[in-house]
Amino acid sequence: MKISVIKQRSLWWTLSGVLILSGIISMIISWQTLGAPLRPSLDFVGGTRLQLERDCTQAQNCAQPIQLATVRQVVDAQGLGTSSIQIVGQNQQAVSIRSKALNGELRTKLQAALSEKLGAFDPRKTQIDTVGPTLGRELFSKGLWALIVSFIGIVIYLSVRFQSDYAVIAIIALFHDLLITTGIFSILGLVQGVEVDSLFVVAILTITGFSVTDTVVIYDRIREILNLHPNDPINKVVDDAVNQTLTRSLNTTFTVLLTLFSLFIFGGETLRYFALALIIGFTMGAYSSIFIASPMLALWRQHKGESKQVETT
Amino acid sequence: MQRQRSLFVLILVLVIAAITAIATISIPLGLDLRGGSQLTIQVKTTPEVKQISERDLEAVKRVVEGRINGLGVSEAVIQTVGADKILVQLPGVNDPEQAERVLGGTAQLEFRQQKPNTEPQLFALRTIQIQLKAKQEELRKAKDAAAIAKNQAEIHKNNQEFEGLFESIKPPLTGKYLKDAYGEPTQGNDWNVALSFDEKGGELFAQITKNLAGTGRSIGVFLDNELISSPTVEAKFAETGITGGQAIITGRFTPQEAKDLSVQLRGGALPVPVEIGEIRTVGATLGKDSIQRSIYAGIGGLTLVLIFMVVYYRLPGIIADIALIIYALLTYATFALLGVTLTLPGIAGFILSIGMAVDANVLIFERTREELRSGKTLYRSVEAGFYRAWSSILDSHVTTLISCAALFWLGTGLVKGFALTLALGLGVNLFTAITCSRTLLLLTLGFPALRKPELFCPNLPTINSKAEAAR
Repeated sequence: MKISVIKQRSLWWTLSGVLILSGIISMIISWQTLGAPLRPSLDFVGGTRLQLERDCTQAQNCAQPIQLATVRQVVDAQGLGTSSIQIVGQNQQAVSIRSKALNGELRTKLQAALSEKLGAFDPRKTQIDTVGPTLGRELFSKGLWALIVSFIGIVIYLSVRFQSDYAVIAIIALFHDLLITTGIFSILGLVQGVEVDSLFVVAILTITGFSVTDTVVIYDRIREILNLHPNDPINKVVDDAVNQTLTRSLNTTFTVLLTLFSLFIFGGETLRYFALALIIGFTMGAYSSIFIASPMLALWRQHKGESKQVETT
Repeated sequence: MQRQRSLFVLILVLVIAAITAIATISIPLGLDLRGGSQLTIQVKTTPEVKQISERDLEAVKRVVEGRINGLGVSEAVIQTVGADKILVQLPGVNDPEQAERVLGGTAQLEFRQQKPNTEPQLFALRTIQIQLKAKQEELRKAKDAAAIAKNQAEIHKNNQEFEGLFESIKPPLTGKYLKDAYGEPTQGNDWNVALSFDEKGGELFAQITKNLAGTGRSIGVFLDNELISSPTVEAKFAETGITGGQAIITGRFTPQEAKDLSVQLRGGALPVPVEIGEIRTVGATLGKDSIQRSIYAGIGGLTLVLIFMVVYYRLPGIIADIALIIYALLTYATFALLGVTLTLPGIAGFILSIGMAVDANVLIFERTREELRSGKTLYRSVEAGFYRAWSSILDSHVTTLISCAALFWLGTGLVKGFALTLALGLGVNLFTAITCSRTLLLLTLGFPALRKPELFCPNLPTINSKAEAAR
């Protein structure tokens, strides 16, 4: 198998462009409807999420699935009409309510009111998350700072290890990966109501570390070939480097994807979307190193080479 | 070869040590896995207190401790986080409503005077208080949750009886008039607690001490309605009371006791409100489910990677698999030795690092295959594979470590767990993927039966095409 990334580059770039563009459009729509490019979880905007599950060891308690309308009625009666409600769990025996931040008293009242209509809940299966708005903002700004700091760190490291044009293009490829990942999550947020939480920030940071790795492997090889054959045309060098490192790039990503799919399937509610973000980001990382970063480097070098020739004549 | 042997012995020793560590040290589980409530308390600034100093935070923490102890929860953990936060962990608490109720609000410190003719009752109650507190301490060590709660009820009753013996002066002398409190040593071995009031507080303190001096009745110092100290006033102050706003509580305190009382007093004097910024509660059953799922996910991921490596890379794949298992053992043992608390994101980091751990081996083996295809001997190909893949491996580890560092530095609790496990994993990985697999591979090459290039690379070109491959 031998692929030519140079020849088909317009195809790949169009594909990436379409993906990124739809992500951006979704973020704009999201900004207008939700006030944020991605649907934020209570980690960042504050609020309470209450998950309750019926105690099925009691006779007749779980005879019927929980009805959304019933829950809605109770929640509205508590003056929490803006809350979102989901019926979850096996056999629809659990309910998840997301509302504005509730203090202990209000929450207990809501729980008691729900219990009256729906039957007894199992306290050992209860999950309560409350984040105050101040702390939410703090979590959000800390997450952003962590991203910025690690970006700067990686740029510095790459500039030390490689020439600056390598570093810049590696970072462009990285932005490509992150834009597509956040774009897809923005679409998921609009269509499926998927929220981004602290773990999503973690995923983005992990993608940042990993995505550059793939690019670096190819660049290492380009550098090596250029040292051996300094007079080969850059397009050929890049194509060779991509092909020589192709199985590596695919296999390193594939082994990580194996564990991520395992997390996605077995990992449970909390880790599912975390794993999904990483799956998208890592796949994009491998794809962009091969199809975006490499031809872009070739194009840049070619352009620079030509302008040099013009200067010397 | 000699070097390989000694390295092999080292690896064996490490593996045995790791297994011993895993078997003997149990890794503490985070509340998201064992079930319980975690509350983050934010200490707010006010116009009077514009910045929370470390000393202030310590004092507020002491107040929080007092309130949480009042709930009678066993194994509660209270620690300060950052510059203005206190983290309260309550294992096994499914409904944090009670904790929320007692934690909110500013501390209430008040100096009250004892009602006349209640001296015998006060003495009796104090004896009971000492007994109950000592008993509570023992029960905490024994972790007997039911008995702790029962004893706490007794303590509460005891407190209420105390309150009946004291009355506020008018206007009440509250904590807002107290400027500072600190322990100071006497000439002997004992310690005192020094108090200093502001002007208004000094006047009120003079009044209360004048009322009580020489009567044998006590000042009742109440923090959140709990009696924390009940000193008497010497008869020589009967004329004017203690004036000047400075006072000393003598009581043959140990340094620790003096510090504790002064921190409590300071906490009660701080006019800073606290607010509950975050509550995370996970029911015990949900936590157990998460552990179960993580185990499935971990074993599933590990198995898939192991199978892939053997199928694709053959003999070196087996070596990489052994190295990967050693990796998992060593990393888990490192968690145990460093006392890392395992949370759900932490487990995710660990599982993810299993997938990343073989990346180094993939890089090395691919390089080895290339060298083989270009016609090098097996031994030299293996050496070259390790040698030339090194820079790529280093780059990939460094970039990921940068992200981990940023996460760890700026992240909060949950996120930190992930960054820590991933970073530790990467460190261990450098050893297992390079030193371990190299040693094992070179030792394997010592067996003539295994010294066959086709065990390393399928469809190796014949001699004829060697020139083509080496081009």
